Amino acid sequence: MGRHIIGKVGEVPPGERRIVEAEGRSIGVFNVHGSFFALRNSCPHQAAPLCLGSIKGMTMPSRPGEYIWARDGEILRCPWHGWEFDITTGRSIFNPHRTRVKVYDVTIEQRLDGDLPDEEDPSVETFPVSIEDGWIVLHL
Amino acid sequence: MAVATERTATSIQARKGIVDCDVHPYPVSTDEIRSYLPMPWRDRFSGGGRGFFGNPVHGSRLDSTPPGGGPTGSDPGFLRKQLIDEFGIAYAILLPRAFCNVHPDPDLGTAIAAAYNDWLADTWLSKHNADGVFKGSLTVNTQDPLAAAQEIDRWGGHPHFVQVMTDSGARAPFGQRQYYPIYEACQRNNLRFAIHPGTDGMGINVQPSPGYPTHYIEWHTCLSLAFQAHLVSIITEGVFERFPGVGITLTEGGVSWLLPLMWRLDAEWKALRSEVPWLTKAPSAYLRDHVRLSSQPLENPDNSRHLLQMLEMMDAGHVLMFASDYPHWDFDSPTHAFPKLSADLHERIFSATAREWYGLPTPDTTA
Repeated sequence: MGRHIIGKVGEVPPGERRIVEAEGRSIGVFNVHGSFFALRNSCPHQAAPLCLGSIKGMTMPSRPGEYIWARDGEILRCPWHGWEFDITTGRSIFNPHRTRVKVYDVTIEQRLDGDLPDEEDPSVETFPVSIEDGWIVLHL
Repeated sequence: MAVATERTATSIQARKGIVDCDVHPYPVSTDEIRSYLPMPWRDRFSGGGRGFFGNPVHGSRLDSTPPGGGPTGSDPGFLRKQLIDEFGIAYAILLPRAFCNVHPDPDLGTAIAAAYNDWLADTWLSKHNADGVFKGSLTVNTQDPLAAAQEIDRWGGHPHFVQVMTDSGARAPFGQRQYYPIYEACQRNNLRFAIHPGTDGMGINVQPSPGYPTHYIEWHTCLSLAFQAHLVSIITEGVFERFPGVGITLTEGGVSWLLPLMWRLDAEWKALRSEVPWLTKAPSAYLRDHVRLSSQPLENPDNSRHLLQMLEMMDAGHVLMFASDYPHWDFDSPTHAFPKLSADLHERIFSATAREWYGLPTPDTTA
């Protein structure tokens, strides 16, 4: 149970993901429109590497014959059987109450007291800080 | 299958592990198949799949694209890593996807079938098959049964072809007499006859539903309709009485429909037996000797006990064989597709039944 530094925010732009190993688990960390989410990289159906799936939107509930496309960038489709999951909650679209994947907390931190990565050189100089400079931290 | 057993047992060492009864190898490119086609067919062949009813999501596992490039299922090394080694597969039954029976010109269809057979024999069944893990299916053009029989005879005795295969798409159900030359050739060459979904309603083939459905979800769900119609035809037309050595492998056609259909057919037979007097026993009684089903895509009800009951009722220990359908999108994992089975039933479904069916060596447990 701990904090895991995934990388800099700028390294995982919106719409992209990074697959990491943490505490023996494979986990996908996703940037969805600037917010970060983490899902276990194993589909609850047949244990496929879920986080390698396609990231798209979805057809929303609608009347027969009507198509409403929305939520672009928020829906992950399993790379095997195509089941859809809401990246922001880990819940499946077809049965959000029963079929879901484990989610983990992700925070963005500007300073990493005491556990800066080796390559980070703590500077005595000061620079303007943007969100891009923040660290993505995964909490298990 | 006694002859085949002797032939393969002497050529390779028995391998332990799963027999995967539906694996799809693909050529690296259309040109690779074209290189096996003589003129004028080389110029006529344009590759291509079934044309429409493509999967709206993805057709193959997204993680099955070979890292070195090429289409999914085209790199034997990567397939070995992702399927054979990952799950401990002893034998993979290969079913190429030639879609050769959609063409109005039977000679074109027959030429495509022959090219796929030459390609498979040259590559997956020899160059990439030093350990004998790959067993092949002969593609035939069922639109021209006489030519199909000649094609089967061309390969008789090959150490790695274990069955003849066709798409389920057809212009008439497979029990009818125009197909007899194919069954004669299968019996003569000691090869099973496999039916695999595809080309239903495509090209010159009939769609086995009332007209064309709108969506892929309908078309794909109803693929089992053709299998049901073919099976009822094959049994009632007396194919197994006329050709007692013939065995039908129903690949990827669904599983749980089998028993209710047989109940219905047996009930009909009690009253209508006189219409098909050549049947010497109830229709369902032909299954154990002559019919096998591959498991994928296995129906999975919410309550897995219901599936286990279905398996027991359908005599799954004798008629069902595991298949993954790698690399397609509805791949069934050997470790996750089934609910927990008894050790004996697991051994039957995942290994023993297919070894007996295809005459594959049984592992030497004393080693």
